[in-house]
Amino acid sequence: MKKNYKILIAGVGGQGIVFLSNIMVEAAVLSNLPVSVSEIHGLSQRGGVVTSSIGLGEYCTGFIGLASVDFLIGLEPLETQRCIPYLHKQSGVIFGNYRVQPYAVNAETAQYPEVNLFVNYLKQQGVDIVYIEDFPPTIDYVLYNIFLLGRATRMNDFPIKADKIIEAINNTVRGPNNKKSLAAFSMGIDFETVPKLA
Amino acid sequence: MIERIKKILTSYTSPHQTCVMGNEGIARAAIEAGVNGVFSYPGTPSTEISEIFKLVNHFQTDKNNTDKYPELTSNPTYFEYSINEKIAMEKAIAFSIGNKSAMCVMKNVGMNIASDALMSVTYQTIIAPLVIVVCDDPGCHSSSNEQDSRYWGPMASVPVFNPATPHEAFVMIKQAFELSGKIKLPVIIRTTTRVSHSRGMIDYGAINHENREAKFDRLPEHINIPARTASAHARLLEKLKSEPLLALLKQNSKIVIQGSQAKFGIISSGVATAYVTEILHKNNFLTEVSVLDLGLVHPFPEKEVLHFLNQNFEKVLVLEELDAFVESSVRNLVQKNNLEVNMLGKGFSELTATGEFSIDLLSRVLEIFADTSFEKNKNIPLEKFENFLDKLPPRPPTLCSGCPHRATFYLLKLAIPREQSELIMCGDIGCFGLGALPPLKMIDTINHMGMSISMAQGLYESFNTSDKGKKVVALLGDGTFFHSGLTSLVNAVYTRANILVIIFDNRTTGMTGHQPHPGASRAAKYHEIDIPPLLKGMGIEVVETINPFNVSESISKVNKAMSHHGVSVLVSKAPCIFLPEFKDVMNTKMRIVVDPSRCNTCENHNDTSLSCSRCEAPKNNLSRAKAKLFAEISVPGSDLLCPANICNHGFFNSILEGDGKSAVEIIRDKMLFARTCGDICHRPCELFAKEKNVIPIKKLKHLVSANEEHFRDFSSPVNRALEAPKKNKSVAVIGAGPAGLSAAYDLIQSGYEVTIFEKENKAGGMVTFAIPYFRMDKTGFDYESMQLEKMGVKFAFNTVLGRDFTIAKLNQEFDSIVLAIGMSKSKTLDLIETNVPASKRMDALSFLKSYNQKETVWVEGAVILIIGGGNSAIDTARSAKKLSSKNRVIISCVETAEKIPAFAEEVKHAIEEGVEIIYDSYLESLSAKKNGEIKSNLHSFSSKKFLVPVECDYIITAIGQTSDLSALENLNKDENGRVENTESVSKSQPVFIAGDIRSGNHMSVIGAIASGKKAAIEVRKLLENYPFEFEGAIALERLNSNPTPAKRVHDDSDDGFDIERYNLFQSCKKCNHCIDNFGCPAMVKVNGKVEINTNRCTLCGLCIDVCPNNAIKWEEVKEEKTIAEIVR
Repeated sequence: MKKNYKILIAGVGGQGIVFLSNIMVEAAVLSNLPVSVSEIHGLSQRGGVVTSSIGLGEYCTGFIGLASVDFLIGLEPLETQRCIPYLHKQSGVIFGNYRVQPYAVNAETAQYPEVNLFVNYLKQQGVDIVYIEDFPPTIDYVLYNIFLLGRATRMNDFPIKADKIIEAINNTVRGPNNKKSLAAFSMGIDFETVPKLA
Repeated sequence: MIERIKKILTSYTSPHQTCVMGNEGIARAAIEAGVNGVFSYPGTPSTEISEIFKLVNHFQTDKNNTDKYPELTSNPTYFEYSINEKIAMEKAIAFSIGNKSAMCVMKNVGMNIASDALMSVTYQTIIAPLVIVVCDDPGCHSSSNEQDSRYWGPMASVPVFNPATPHEAFVMIKQAFELSGKIKLPVIIRTTTRVSHSRGMIDYGAINHENREAKFDRLPEHINIPARTASAHARLLEKLKSEPLLALLKQNSKIVIQGSQAKFGIISSGVATAYVTEILHKNNFLTEVSVLDLGLVHPFPEKEVLHFLNQNFEKVLVLEELDAFVESSVRNLVQKNNLEVNMLGKGFSELTATGEFSIDLLSRVLEIFADTSFEKNKNIPLEKFENFLDKLPPRPPTLCSGCPHRATFYLLKLAIPREQSELIMCGDIGCFGLGALPPLKMIDTINHMGMSISMAQGLYESFNTSDKGKKVVALLGDGTFFHSGLTSLVNAVYTRANILVIIFDNRTTGMTGHQPHPGASRAAKYHEIDIPPLLKGMGIEVVETINPFNVSESISKVNKAMSHHGVSVLVSKAPCIFLPEFKDVMNTKMRIVVDPSRCNTCENHNDTSLSCSRCEAPKNNLSRAKAKLFAEISVPGSDLLCPANICNHGFFNSILEGDGKSAVEIIRDKMLFARTCGDICHRPCELFAKEKNVIPIKKLKHLVSANEEHFRDFSSPVNRALEAPKKNKSVAVIGAGPAGLSAAYDLIQSGYEVTIFEKENKAGGMVTFAIPYFRMDKTGFDYESMQLEKMGVKFAFNTVLGRDFTIAKLNQEFDSIVLAIGMSKSKTLDLIETNVPASKRMDALSFLKSYNQKETVWVEGAVILIIGGGNSAIDTARSAKKLSSKNRVIISCVETAEKIPAFAEEVKHAIEEGVEIIYDSYLESLSAKKNGEIKSNLHSFSSKKFLVPVECDYIITAIGQTSDLSALENLNKDENGRVENTESVSKSQPVFIAGDIRSGNHMSVIGAIASGKKAAIEVRKLLENYPFEFEGAIALERLNSNPTPAKRVHDDSDDGFDIERYNLFQSCKKCNHCIDNFGCPAMVKVNGKVEINTNRCTLCGLCIDVCPNNAIKWEEVKEEKTIAEIVR
């Protein structure tokens, strides 16, 4: 891992962004990495935008700036796109195609952005990108967050190791959800994206 | 959760490293400091601190836990959410005076009402430590202002800590408890969102389990009287110079970066220090700069700052979010000590007193300040990302799916017509404030907490002074009502304000995470206060509780409350979706589905390129929603089909919305004759409907087309014709009756060149010549007909088929032909023709034509016998009676009164006007006398026996019409002389038959119009392969096969009627009612249709009531969802 590493998680209230952030913090602590987090979720339960940013390393806050995010986990395609300014040419990005249409799109005063255009743009910019167009149907949508995290651990330079995340899930998630979370995580690790023919 | 609470209550002998949110660190630090009681009012970003103590208190008072975890529960911490911050502060002070250490927690604005208590107790004394935590919100993520709470330090003369990180907050809380106990003064910890809501590494340590005895000493300081206050103030200021405080000032003024050759000095405070440290370390800019972090900002650490300033920096920069609080003190210090320092702060570069700092902002400021560049350490940004960013739709927060507030707003939308009135709606703080945003937009003002009721009564009084004392509405949540609405309401009752207060009682404090309040205590240890008896006790006469999910009942109660003069209150009571009792609202055994064929789909057109003049304005859609709830008679559009396929749904609802202009345009989307049909239509739409389902469409046509301005404006159809892409093909229409005119109307709008050949000197056919003028507006009909000229149709009048032109000739000149020459000859009876001289007999058509042209020359006071029972017989009879009231007019018809084919209202008028009808009779024989009198014998049609003799002066045959096809050869005619099929006229090129001449077509104006439209489609199919069938086919076929569907009297008076009794529903492409007015986030629009996202749907089912077209419905599911699965 580089000296300071910043991870951003973006999505919509109710998608388990804070939960995912907690797992990663726990895993970082277990990995002896200094960790700080900044969250904005004032109206998260009211369907607004939620972001959580994690800083790993000494003198590294959880606050992010332009071109400062090394890894982005997007739980919602539109909110992933909103994070473009924070990315840089060596960033890693994983996001899934679970859409939550904002009101303006339903009212047809705005259009939902074209996702494939965005994916191609990131590739062309040199970003290491994994886009999950179709989640495996066996996974409950509330576990997409853990699934994406699993797949992220296989990507270049992802600073938190899978075994520490499993340990963190075991420390954090109790009861029947523990098994479900672990299963979603390991499905994420094993998941291969099949490129669709144009 | 329980693991988290156990951890937070565990005492560690050696440091236990953990990464927690700043607010959790604050709670843990207070526990380590041995806090005995926490008093709070929830508010972002402070709430998590209080929530931990709520859980701690719950854990420690649970009997199971006291047995199981004695070490964690031995010294339980009292906790309460007080009704507001003032009470929380007052109670915390009292708790301290009872010798128990206390903490009081709130957000920035809470201090405004809590400060009253603070400002006086500092002059007196506290006993046990009292720490106040105030969380500011620079950038206003979730607050109504970004006030800077550090000012409470100098204002109340209390110490103020200002931590930079969760770790600092943790340390400072413990220092604050110790300090407060030593100097007997409340101490403030002020955080900001980025400290409270950040996570950082903290070392948990040992917990102070010292057990304080509750006691009260009768100290003179507890009594605040003016005689003592001056000296008390002096004593207070001395406390700020005391030794323990000075030691902490030193300890919290830290050099966090010490440059070996520092030219630049930075004094920073709060989260600015965290940003600066990261930026300088990341860019390895550590030699030329020194940074002093101030963690205790009041009293000001003069000695430490002076020491820092004496390092001969070239420049010194003060960094702090919001106001120049530290900066002012530093400048004061520089001035007092005559220092020569180049001081920079607010106003330098991008530093302002508003909003939050960020890594980017401070990087740019530091580059300018230190005249350096951090460029080499920056990552390479992506290129041209603005292209993506600019197009992204915003995502404002919305009320949750199933939220009772949305239900209340929706019913208020229906009940209180905002668009048409100036009613003012005064909102308040809380989740329900989202009702100000689209699509609800039901709030005009939101101020600070509790202002709504004061705003409403103040506005009422301001209008009252100018004699316009109308009702003003206040809206507030249940939590806010107890927080500060209650006192304002007392004032409104006392001053007799004319306001309606609506309490959005969702049984919790929703916005901040579902805390209890006195109206919804949620625990046996608290006494719950029922709001309605409280209000009635105050003397409010109209107090109603409504269930917002029962929309129609609630609306009646809203109307009642609105009409009351004085204070009226509605309590809209239904649980927040996050509460366990929400399960009573939802239906877990079902799911909600949308029938796509009934959602935003035009049920009238297959060809969506056809003109639709229905207005799209969403506000107007409310009347459909209201009609669904309140109409006595609900009729699906499919029950009221028009053979011309006029969209009766759009027509009716436009009128319901008060939009008569659109209603007229909707008729003209399909045909010329809005007013004519209002006068004389056969109204099959009504006659085929079940009697209880009849909506008086014809009467509505009559009423809307009576508006002369709307009637005269034909610009839309004319423009459609002029702007239609030209097909460069021509069609000849023979006959300018309603069928020919209607075919021409549709063809010209489809881009064809159209010429109409007419044997008479004007258009209209039977309508012009046979319908008596007292039944219709003849001038209006002429105006309607002749619009075709403006649309580009050519007319050749006085041009007779066979005399002036032939089909063969037309075939050479036109691409297609429509034959609509009508049935222009009356049928006659040989009995009359042979026995009655020509001057004494007429056929109905000839009579009506001469009547309409006012050429009838019969003597007055004659007896006139009319043979026939159809509409032309009645028309003839009424006309004959109108010629002279002295005329005696007798009708003989073979039908009984029940079976007579003429319109019931026409028969009724005829009888009222004095026409005599001899039913079930036929003319058996007659003889003409020399004096001109005709002696006829009528026999019973059913028994054939002699019935009655009639002596009359004139006799008119009105037994139907037949065609005059003398100019055409080789026709397949039916027994009535009507043409059988389209191929028969010309073998070389199909000629399409329309109107009365078309075999089997209904003999009526609407039948003719529909058949003209049908012929136009046949032409288009031939000439352009038009892919759609005639849209009115079903209604026309039904009429053709059942010419006299029902006997009902049409109300053709000019009286109005109560249109709100009716609801005519049908799916409509221009609906969008639920999205435009309800906006539940579980509703998603995909490809123009609404779908329910089952992951977000909370199964409240209100959308089912909302949909004006019944497209949304319950569907049974196999597996029942758990509540946890639904609300997560």
